[in-house]
Parts: sequence; C-alpha cells; structure tokens
Amino acid sequence: MTDAIFDTMGAVLTRWTMGSAAAPAAAMWRDELGNEPAEAELRLLALSGQFLGVAVTAEPPATLHVLPDIPTLALPTVPDALRSLVRRILTANKDAQSRTELIHFLAARGFTTHPADWMPAAADDDAPDVYASWRDWADIAAANAVSRQPIGDLITAQNWDDFWPAARKVALTALRRRDPAAARAVMEAKLGQENADVRLRLLALLSDELSDGDAAFLEGLAANDRASKVKALATSLLARLGHAASPGEDTAELAGFFSVKTKGLLRRSRVIQFENTKTAAQLQRRQTLFDGADVTSLATALGLTPQELVTIWSWGEDKAADVGLVNAIVQTGTDALVAAAADLVAEQGRINIVLTLVPRLAPSQRARRTETALRASELRFEIAKLIAGPAARLDDPLAAPAGTALITALRRDDAKPSDQAVELHALGLIVSRAAARQILDRLTGAGLLQGDPRLDMLRLNAALDDNGAKP
Amino acid sequence: MAIDLKTIEQLATDQSSLKAAAGLAKPAKWSGLGMSPDGALAWGECAGSGANPYRVMADLRDLGNKCTCPSRKFPCKHVLGLLWLKAEAKAPFPSAETPPWVSDWLGRRRSSGGAPKAPAPNAQPAGDKDVSAAQLVEPEAADDPKDIARREAAAAKRSEDTERAILDALDALEQWIGDQLRMGLAPFIDDVTARCRRIAARLVDGKAAVLAGRIDELPGRLLALPAGDRPRGAVVELGKLVLLARAFRASPRDAALRRAVAASETRDAVLAGPETLRVPSQWEVLAEQVQTRRDGLVSQTTWLLNLSEAGPRFAMLLDFFPASAGRRGSVFAPGERFRGELAFYPAQQPLRALLISRDTAADATSWPTPEAALTDTLSAPLLAEPWTLDIPVLLPAGRIARDDAGHSWWRSADGSTTLPVAGSAEGLLCGTDLERTAAIWSGNRLTILAAQTRWGRIDGHD
Repeated sequence: MTDAIFDTMGAVLTRWTMGSAAAPAAAMWRDELGNEPAEAELRLLALSGQFLGVAVTAEPPATLHVLPDIPTLALPTVPDALRSLVRRILTANKDAQSRTELIHFLAARGFTTHPADWMPAAADDDAPDVYASWRDWADIAAANAVSRQPIGDLITAQNWDDFWPAARKVALTALRRRDPAAARAVMEAKLGQENADVRLRLLALLSDELSDGDAAFLEGLAANDRASKVKALATSLLARLGHAASPGEDTAELAGFFSVKTKGLLRRSRVIQFENTKTAAQLQRRQTLFDGADVTSLATALGLTPQELVTIWSWGEDKAADVGLVNAIVQTGTDALVAAAADLVAEQGRINIVLTLVPRLAPSQRARRTETALRASELRFEIAKLIAGPAARLDDPLAAPAGTALITALRRDDAKPSDQAVELHALGLIVSRAAARQILDRLTGAGLLQGDPRLDMLRLNAALDDNGAKP
Repeated sequence: MAIDLKTIEQLATDQSSLKAAAGLAKPAKWSGLGMSPDGALAWGECAGSGANPYRVMADLRDLGNKCTCPSRKFPCKHVLGLLWLKAEAKAPFPSAETPPWVSDWLGRRRSSGGAPKAPAPNAQPAGDKDVSAAQLVEPEAADDPKDIARREAAAAKRSEDTERAILDALDALEQWIGDQLRMGLAPFIDDVTARCRRIAARLVDGKAAVLAGRIDELPGRLLALPAGDRPRGAVVELGKLVLLARAFRASPRDAALRRAVAASETRDAVLAGPETLRVPSQWEVLAEQVQTRRDGLVSQTTWLLNLSEAGPRFAMLLDFFPASAGRRGSVFAPGERFRGELAFYPAQQPLRALLISRDTAADATSWPTPEAALTDTLSAPLLAEPWTLDIPVLLPAGRIARDDAGHSWWRSADGSTTLPVAGSAEGLLCGTDLERTAAIWSGNRLTILAAQTRWGRIDGHD
C-alpha cells in the first residue's frame, strides 16, 4: 500500500504544481476523498501532507564523505571551568590581534582553546604552531578532501607531500631545532616545488639555528630564485651570517647620505652626521636605498663595524633615518647587533623603535626590556604588552609609573565603567599568575567590582595553571 | 551596602510600581538570589507571566539596575521587588561569584558609578508615593450574585462569539487553501510571502492569532528548503493546516487546539489547571532560539532536555515580546543544568512548559538513552498531532557526513538512518563522533541543538 501511495504522490504533486485537480489521480483513496471535488482536493491534501511528512524523507546521495576527526593537540584544552571566561574574552575582543594575543597567551601557559570555542582557519599563519593540525583540518574541511596521514612526525624529502601545509611547517621547525643541516637538506630538495609565498614562509625558518652551513644554499637562492622577495630574504639571512655582499653602488650612494664626524674638545667622540637631506626627493631616494640595504655593508662603506655604526648613530635626530636603519638591522643584523640596538634605543626611550626590534629578541630578553621600559617611563601597559610578547610573566608591573597612573585613573570620581579596559586587559596578558592574583586584590580594594568584565583577562591569568616554558 | 525603603520609594516611577513591587517582595517569587562578596551587586530571578523567569540585577552603589522583562518602566517592579527583599532582609542573599549575565550587564552599562541616581525626571514626587500604602492589602468587595451571573453570561457570550469568529476564519482558510491548489503550487511558491500575509491578516481579524502567526512564518520555512523540495514542503504545510482546521472544528474547546489556533492559556490558568503535568526533574539547557517574526514579535524558545528517565524527554519554554522592546537577555546559558519543576501545558505530547521553580545545579552527568526505534521517534508525534511543526529528538550515536555539493547529513553509527541537516554543519560538529545528538526534526530537516562528544557537550547550529 505504501509503495502504491508513494508512486501516486509523483502524479499528485505534478498536478497541484500545475494547478490541476489531483483527486482523480489518487484512486487508492477514492472512498476517503468522497464525490465533492473541492472537498476531495482538501482531503487529499491532508492525507498527502501527512504521508509526505511522516513516511518520506530525503534520500541521501550514494556518496557521502566523512571528515577526519579533529586531532587532539599536544597541549591540553583550557579547563572546563575557565572556558566561559575564554569565550567572553574572545567575544569582547573580536579583532584579529587581540584574539591572537589571547591564543598565544594560552599556548605560553601550556593550554589550547577548546575546539568548540575557537579554531584557527587554514590560512591563520599567526596561530601558534601547536594548532598546526587544526589548521590543516580546516584546510581539509574546506576542500571536502580526505586526510593524508604522514608516518611519524619526522619530515623528509620523501614524505614531504604527506604533510598538510601547517603540519609541514611545524615539522620543519622541529627538525631545524633538532638537526639544522637535515632541515636545510629537506628544503633544498623540496622548496623549488612550492609557490613563492610558501617558499618565503619556509625559508624564514632558517633564521632559527642559522649557521655558516646554510650559506651555500642561501647564496644559491639569492642568485637564482624566481621570486625577488625570496631572493631578498636569502640575502638578508646571508647578511646576518656576515656574508654580506661587498658594498655596491647602491650601498655607496646610501653611505653618501651620512658622514662620520668627531665632536667634543677633550673627549673626542665620533658621531654620524646626516647629509644631503634638503629636498624631499633626496629623502625619498635615501628611503629607497635603505629598503634594500644590509647593515654590514652600510657600516663597511662608512669605515665602521655594524656595532660601531649602531653605537655612534645619532638616534632621534632624523626619525626617517632611524626607521631605515632599524629595518636594515632587523632584516640583516646578527642577533647580537639587534640586542645591542634594542638596548641603545630603549635607554633613550624610543619605544616605537624598540617595538620594531623585539620580534627578533628571545622571550627572556623581551621580558627584561619590558620591565626596564616600565620602570624608566610612564609606558602604558598597552604598549608594554607589545614589547613583552606572549611569554612574559612580569611580577610587579603595578609598581611602575603606569601602574600608579592606572590606579589613579580608576579611583577618579568621574571614572566610567568602561575606562581603562584596554590597560587592564593588557596587564592581564603580561603578568605572572601570582602577580595577577595580587593585582586583582589591589584593584578590588581600589573599588573595582570582582565581577567587573574589565578584569576578565586578569581573572583568567590568575585562575590558569602556568604549565608553559618560562622565558 | 545598605538600602532602605525610602530609597526604593524615591526610585519608583509611580505608586502602582510600588504596589506591584510589594507583591513581588516575597521570597517564594524568587530564585537564585545572590550578592557579590563586596556587597555591591545583588541579583535574582523572578517568576513573571512568561515561561522563563526574569533576570534582575542591581548595583547597590549607585542603584543602577537591569531586568530582562519587557516593561517600559524604569526601574520595573521586579527591580523594586529585588531591592525591597534586600532592604527588609526578607530572603537571604548568599555571597557568590558574580554570574556571567551580571558581568555582561556591568560591561555594557553606560552610566558612571559614584553618586546614587536621582529619580527619573518624569517620576512623581516622592510624596505621591508611599511604601506603606503599597503594602496595604485592599479588602475585596463582596460579590453580588447578580453581578457574578451577569459576568459569567457575558464571558460565555464572548467565548461563543470568539468561537464563531474562529470557525468563520477557518472556513476562509480552507477556501484560500483550495484556491492555492487550483491556481497551482508553482505560482504559490513564487508569491508565497504576499499570499500568506493576506490570509494571515484575515485570520487575525477572525481571532485566530496563533494560526495567523504560523502562516506568517510559513514562507520562511518553505523558502529555506532546496528549490526542488518546495512543492513537497508546500503540500506538507498546507495539509497540516487543513488537519488543524478540521480538528478544531471537531473539538473547539480542546485546550491544545485552541493554543494552536487562537491563544495560549495564561500562566495562572496553566498552573491552576487540574490536567497540568508537573515534572520535578534535572534539566539541561540545550539551546535558545530567538527569532524576530513578521508580526513584530520576537519569539524566545528555550529547549530543555530532561536528564531523568521519568516525564517528557524535552521541554520548550516559549516567550514572546515586542521587537520594539529591544534586545532581551538570555535567561539560560546553553549547557547549564539545574534542578527544577516544570508545568507542562496540557497536550497529547506535552512539550511546551512553564518554569515553576529552579533550584540547585543538577548532579546528573550523562544524557538519557535515546529511544530504540528512531523512525517511531520521528513519526509518533505526527501521528498524535499531525499539525505539529517541530519535533525534538534525541538521536543515537552518529556522525555528520557531507555530499559532493557540500550539504550536511546526519548518519547513524550503524548506517541504518541518514537524515538531511538544515543549513551546514561546521567546525567541531562535523569533525568528531556524535555520541548523542539533540535536534529538532522539522520540515524534513534536522536542526542540531547540541551533541555529546569526546570533547564534551558541544552546541549545534548557531
């Protein structure tokens, strides 16, 4: 009977779709429908609707794909009790930078988000490495593809294609730390088959454990790669190794914008003097030359070592020149030169330049410089956060001038409930767990409510175990 | 932070607010009372006329306050009632961690802390408001038997008139359905919004307001289906309307049918009804669905799962408020569990309910076992009440799969059942085994509310 009704439904639906009477086509229900045509149509509608609603469901296609399981990450997810707090912080800070800061903070403390609360997109290059397998899962889901399962985590030229992009980058990073030469060999074998953006990202991994053993490979790329940006990166890495090209015409022209002078009568010291900057065209030309410069060649052209150049540079006298030199240091300077430059500019309170340099500093160096900068000036926590990076665990930032200013602002009679939200959030990102607890006590003592959402980041910090590697 | 009745008197906008607040300043009306450890914030949940309680919160430092009720008075009677309870210590306000919904409100507050607020500019002078008078119980006038008889006769006449009007409206509805069939379902689907609007207006005139609302939402349900499935969807929707109209004619006094066609009973009527099913149990909040309807109302539907084996498996708390009242805070957070008593509206398949009391957190840890025969679970409610639109179901172990076009399907672990999923399932929902899934089966599509997985409980569709 069911089959007969089912077969009839096709004709009934067709007739009604076209506006024809359908009751004559439903012979099996002739008695139930009766003889009155309009009534018969309504009865047939009731019966057909019930049949189609109860007995007929959409037929699945022959081929259905099941996505692979979302992998378990190397770090545990945030404890259940803190998930709502994480969700609230993510909701309140929707911009990509704030979200990235929180995700990195959690990773630095040894945790990841729950996948129901946040997952990276495939192209989320800013996500910590621990999320690589989720990024690749997102890639697989978007492509409706099947997973490729590499055998083990060790990447080789032979199993290169078994890795999805994010996992490949993480595996290469790990290999580079464990066996730098092996990682370079894998790159030498496989880099050529990737597009320029991927080559650029992977080549940047060589900055970790960079050594003279990489020079030949880098020289080959600097000379022969298809993309100018890859050539430029290879050149800058070579420069960091001290394999700078001998000063060419451009470097000589750039050096012409500066001269080394002596000053002082008794204790004569050398300084850099800025030349030929009378017109906008000259400034523009100098900027263009800085973009491709390496700091070692520039110093050599001026008859100095890179360290001497940084030391006698007249910081603050010509801001555009400062930016040009600092970019050259970041791109082509050795780690020691970057650290020395950071110390010099930090002493002079040139925080915007410090911010350019800090990505090349080790986490411990970043934390130390943050503490120094906070003590030395009224540096806001919002800026201190950028210097400190995600792994900082400052112990007493409220003692700094910024802390005093924050407490004062919160105690003002005309303070609004949303005041200082950015500062309080930043504070929550950079302090240690113990400090977060102390600060919460002080702030609630200063009149803030314990449930104040501005304290969410501090509350998360205070409640979260610190299982991460200390800088 | 101390608060006294004089302050409440000043805060009230008028004497009627004070009077209403006095009626609410009784511990039995409240649940979840609490106070921040620093004594600055007080909060609680007050039973109102809807299915969900109202969430009420106040900052005692400056008397800033918020309530989720739709009242246009500020402060509303619920806030005044909360403050009254606190002022007279009529109920304990245990010290507790500030709930997220109070913190959310704090984050959105625009006014500053500091000095207490002045009474609203349009408020009556305090002299015209009197807390003592508000507490007086006015003696009820003795009813004259003739008046009672007259009122009863008038009510019976009104009821008959309403029933006659509804039956006339249902005649018009059937006529309209017949017209759609004669003119063809293809043009009906093309012009479904305008056509449904016209008959819905006629039904409103005929006092069939609930049915009118249902037909106003019909285009949305129909157009959400794939184009090829819309003729079938139209037949199902219109067929249900015919069945509902015929059932109403056969039994116009049936409470469930009146609820489906004309209007719902009041909260008090449900609670007083002898047939009302009261179920004390442990409940989990599956999801909240908020929808702005074409008639200008916002429907707020909270789906609850009964974690015990006794009583209905699901409950639906349904409230309406005008869209013009603005965004209304959620009463529950998905995943929240509580012990509480629900009163179900009388029905063959009890589903819609009122929250009567809400106590401590539930201690049940797992979801109940799904019924063995999934096909029966999907069809049984339609056999009992064929006009039903949404059927909540608890699905056994399964997994989301995708077809080549990217559409999502729920497939049981044993491969015996595959059901189409409304919209697309994203993220974790399609990247892990679903040990149990709570979903709404409607229009031959599944809307997933929540699922149990190895990652714990996860939400379904946004």
